[in-house]
Amino acid sequence: MPMIEIRDLRKSYAELEVLKGISFDVEKGEVVVVLGPSGSGKSTMLRCINLLEEFQGGGIRIDGEAIGYTTTEGGKRRRRKEAENAKLREQVGMVFQSFNLFPHRTVLQNVMMGPLKVKGIARREAEALARDLLKKVGLLDKADQYPARLSGGQQQRVGIARALAMQPKVMLFDEVTSALDPELVGEVLRVMRQLAQEGMTMIIVTHEIHFARDVGDRIIFMDHGAIVEEGPPANILANPKSDRFKQFLRRYQGDYLDT
Amino acid sequence: MMPNVLINNLPYLLKGALVTLELSVVVLIAGNLLGLVIGIVATSVGRIGQSLITAYIFVLRGIPILVIMLLGYYAFPALGYRVPAYVAVGVAQIIYVSAFVAEIVRSAILSVPSGQIAAARSLGMRRFSILKEIVLPQATRIAIPPLLNNSLTAIKQTSYVSVVGVWELTYAAREVVERTLASFQIFLGVMAIYFIICYPLSLLARRWERRAAVVQ
Repeated sequence: MPMIEIRDLRKSYAELEVLKGISFDVEKGEVVVVLGPSGSGKSTMLRCINLLEEFQGGGIRIDGEAIGYTTTEGGKRRRRKEAENAKLREQVGMVFQSFNLFPHRTVLQNVMMGPLKVKGIARREAEALARDLLKKVGLLDKADQYPARLSGGQQQRVGIARALAMQPKVMLFDEVTSALDPELVGEVLRVMRQLAQEGMTMIIVTHEIHFARDVGDRIIFMDHGAIVEEGPPANILANPKSDRFKQFLRRYQGDYLDT
Repeated sequence: MMPNVLINNLPYLLKGALVTLELSVVVLIAGNLLGLVIGIVATSVGRIGQSLITAYIFVLRGIPILVIMLLGYYAFPALGYRVPAYVAVGVAQIIYVSAFVAEIVRSAILSVPSGQIAAARSLGMRRFSILKEIVLPQATRIAIPPLLNNSLTAIKQTSYVSVVGVWELTYAAREVVERTLASFQIFLGVMAIYFIICYPLSLLARRWERRAAVVQ
């Protein structure tokens, strides 16, 4: 059974269909990188997996559990109870382009938020877990700082630690390096690479093509709300079939050749 | 001889000040609480609820306090209830204040970036938990200065209850002036008393401002 199973995912804003039937699986421990121009629906797709966005058709399963909606025997679609969905969200960690740390809490408190307020584990235990994770992302010395005192790269690493603190089955990365100064991108990618090596199941939306080739087990190229091409990085990047993917790669070729 | 008029009538005025103080405490506590609830509800209900609350806020903000006072005074008899005047105007003041508080609370809550709420949801946090841990702590910091400011206004506008014959500081002052004709001295004294009542809140607002600046 795949860890993530997406079938014919459809989403619209009024008349505009932004996801036009997306289907793919992610196996346990697999790293899937999603590429695509802005407006292609890749971030929206990611947010659907965590149910930060509602979707109108198709289904998503995480480790066999339907996210957001269940379909009855008669084929009738019903939204799951909010409590059930919150429970499901716990299993999916998400890291955001704009970090979204809680500015009124210290770095340590940010990372402890999930374990304390969702899982309800003891403070001492939560703190030990949070310190472990901060060590992992190399920020143990910033534990008592407020996020505003950190660089973008550091904030994003805290964002990763905060998501990991829920010990999710799956991690989603939504253009996590796009808001960073170029010299800060490396430190964030390093943490992600380490996670991938440890066997975390990940979906990564990014424009870092070099990173996609290195770390991804599979690349999916999306455009206009649909999957255009997918395959192992070596193949698909060397021999793009569609014009749209070729065009996309050409635009980002600078980055690609540099590295 | 002149200042003696004020000194002689000071005990009477202070009795009025005590009523003003009592009225203020009741209006502030009830008005702020009611406004807080309305403000929080406004950010967590559907479109119809929001429209109703928006109407509540806009209508009340568009009415002079004096008109609200008179309306409150005549509303109860019109509806067939007999209530003491101070209750009628007290209720009117509370409702009036709550509209301003609700608007301050609502906009403070909405000023918390939606990305943070998405992050909290993605951790699996529930609505109430997000409100308590993420939204309200930040909204409070934003809302405190305007709320204190609003409270000062609320204290001062309790003087309007005097127009429908509710006895408090301003009413007492007018009585004394009618008796002594020393309008200038008496109102100077009344001014000082209002200032003394409001001064601690003004200080608090300043101190909070400084504290918030340090945290930033």
